[in-house]
Amino acid sequence: MIPLAIANQTVREAMRRRVMWIFLISGLFLIAMGPVFGFLSPKDSQTVLRSLGLAAILLAGLFITIVTCIYLIPVEIERRTIYTVLSKPVQRYQFVLGKFLGGFATVFINIAAMGIVFLVLIYTQEHKVPMDMLLGVVMTFFQMLLLAALSIFFSTFTTPVVNFFLSFGVFMVGNLSSVTDSLASNPNPLVSNAGKIVHYLLPNFGNFNIQNSIIHPTIEIKNQEVFMMQNIIYAIVYSLVLLTLAVLIFDRREV
Amino acid sequence: MATKRLPDDLQNRRKKAVPILIVLYALTMFLQAQIDPRVRELRSGEQGLESTSGGLGGEFLLLPLLGFREAAAGLLWVRCDEFFHSGDYDAILPLVRLITWLDPHAENVFITGAWHLAYNFTDSTERSDRRYIVPSQELLKEGVRNNPRIPDINFELGWQNYDKVKDYSAAAAAFTAAINTRAWKGSDDFPYGAPLKTHHILAHTYAKQGRIPEAIAEWRRALARSAEQLARDPRNFTYISLNAAEKNNIKELFQRYHDRYTDHDHEKSVNPTKYPFVIAPPKGSNIPKPWDVNLHVKFEAPRPKVFKMSGTMNIADGARLEVRISDWDYDARDMKRRDVVSKEILQKFKVEEDQTILMDTASVRKNRFEKELDMSKDPRMYSFAADTYKVIFTFNIRTTSPHIQDRHGYSGEGLMDVKEHIVLDRHIDLLGTKMIEGQDGEGPVWDGKSVPWLIDGKGVYGQPARLVRVTYKLSRKQLLGLEPITNKDVVPNDAL
Repeated sequence: MIPLAIANQTVREAMRRRVMWIFLISGLFLIAMGPVFGFLSPKDSQTVLRSLGLAAILLAGLFITIVTCIYLIPVEIERRTIYTVLSKPVQRYQFVLGKFLGGFATVFINIAAMGIVFLVLIYTQEHKVPMDMLLGVVMTFFQMLLLAALSIFFSTFTTPVVNFFLSFGVFMVGNLSSVTDSLASNPNPLVSNAGKIVHYLLPNFGNFNIQNSIIHPTIEIKNQEVFMMQNIIYAIVYSLVLLTLAVLIFDRREV
Repeated sequence: MATKRLPDDLQNRRKKAVPILIVLYALTMFLQAQIDPRVRELRSGEQGLESTSGGLGGEFLLLPLLGFREAAAGLLWVRCDEFFHSGDYDAILPLVRLITWLDPHAENVFITGAWHLAYNFTDSTERSDRRYIVPSQELLKEGVRNNPRIPDINFELGWQNYDKVKDYSAAAAAFTAAINTRAWKGSDDFPYGAPLKTHHILAHTYAKQGRIPEAIAEWRRALARSAEQLARDPRNFTYISLNAAEKNNIKELFQRYHDRYTDHDHEKSVNPTKYPFVIAPPKGSNIPKPWDVNLHVKFEAPRPKVFKMSGTMNIADGARLEVRISDWDYDARDMKRRDVVSKEILQKFKVEEDQTILMDTASVRKNRFEKELDMSKDPRMYSFAADTYKVIFTFNIRTTSPHIQDRHGYSGEGLMDVKEHIVLDRHIDLLGTKMIEGQDGEGPVWDGKSVPWLIDGKGVYGQPARLVRVTYKLSRKQLLGLEPITNKDVVPNDAL
């Protein structure tokens, strides 16, 4: 219950942050602009609408996740409110978990809001429930879950500014999974081993990028359910790894 | 940040957490190993970022990383449209390349981009730059590789070969590939793999190849399909008209076969021979042999890089004489480019700037033709960098209009040239249906009934097209008007 109480308080606090609202409104605006761009390219109106909508959710979600999660723990330390919390019967791991759940719930609310607007917009254009687009939103959501865990992990031992660049950088490298995968099969053993290390050790955000496949109906994802489930489990397990590491580091931290 | 000695309970927690952490990390690696093959399969047609980065600026690399690939591609496509309408054709090429890298499943970009390459780069008199054919076709082939379930790209490849290149065997292969596309639910053509029009154009292609039984068989396949559609929706006007058009086309093919190759009622006409000409022989003549087109060509260079072709040809109005001016080794170099497609072609749609080629036609009216070919105004397109050139004049019976074929047959069986300018095109995939004995055809004569015309499970074709051709070998000095062009410059035609 303690982590949930901390999470509840974290969500309230995060939702008061103006910068988060700016990103949310920007995301919603981009989604709403989709039909306009579609009008400019009539033959591809649906492709533009779908791709722009998914990209807007991803981009806004990315910044909302990073901006929300990088501040959650450092702000408590900076304002010294953490003393009040930890002086009560609250374990440090409960604090970290509560902060993560709060940040994650905030991201969920934002992505859900953008997702609903996007799906309704598609529905008004195509007059059918866009289940494939829902899959895209779900994958973005789990991608952000992993990113939130990463930001929380970094926030236990870095400042918010450093955390911003670290999280963003790892997200970028993680999105280059096709490159690291091809490096892993390079004939040069040095390159191959380096590629394998990066590919398997860093969180692989590129796994979740299925936009191209779901935008174009001719592209078939074989065993789609299995593929989705593997990615979701990957996001959850990797998040657990990062949170466990975050707890271990935060345990040692003097506050 | 400082560290401290942890209390015992935290030490114990750590001891428990570390093995769990290792197990969880191992699980992520296991999951990643399971996910990798699926991701690889999903992105099998996509260009890796490492290979695209050579052609992309840093700002464009950021877009795919942020998940904006398709959105960026869509918006860039809009920009292409603006460039197109403002006439800035060169600016479109890098954008087309960029878009197809960002979104390898944007089939209309492959199609429109290839059309743009093949048709829109022209000289000042609207003759297209043939050097762009190779990059255009390579772009389409890349599109086909990336989108095996979309018939439209193969259709475009077929259409380009049919309309632009006049390579009917390549066209037939592409149209057949389009028809064989696996059907998928959600497609407008489901349960078929490709639109009905693909059968129509394939039938026309077979007719252009002179393969009449296959053309008829294809029309029948189309007819069966349109009849099915009509049965499902009997009041659909499109289906009604398509069905009627297909019936008419089959009937017309049989009619043409009958009129051209059987002697029924020919005794009432002026054609007492087996040859398929149905117009009167020259005045005062009653020679029962193929029609002598008696081609006479004059080629001059009145000004540097400006040419005048003129002459006479004894053929019906509306026939077109093709002219091709190119480097002597153009075909050899072109073949090499097709065999080893360079990165320059694939990444930048680069053409060989030192190559020169022009293709055009002159219309025959009242047995005469005349045309001026001005290649002086477009030095970027016509560099004249080579030392030796080939100028070829060709009358191709397969590409000519049906009313000319009515006189001379699908393969030119009723056609000859007293000056021996006839060349037989013996390319195996261009051998047509043998209709009459003799005239260089091999194999059995078609009975006009068996459709498809199969022997041992295969269509048997043996009639080479009889082209009328004159070839000049000219020096750069002659094309620049510094030395005269005479009949001595006419050389034997290349064997086909």
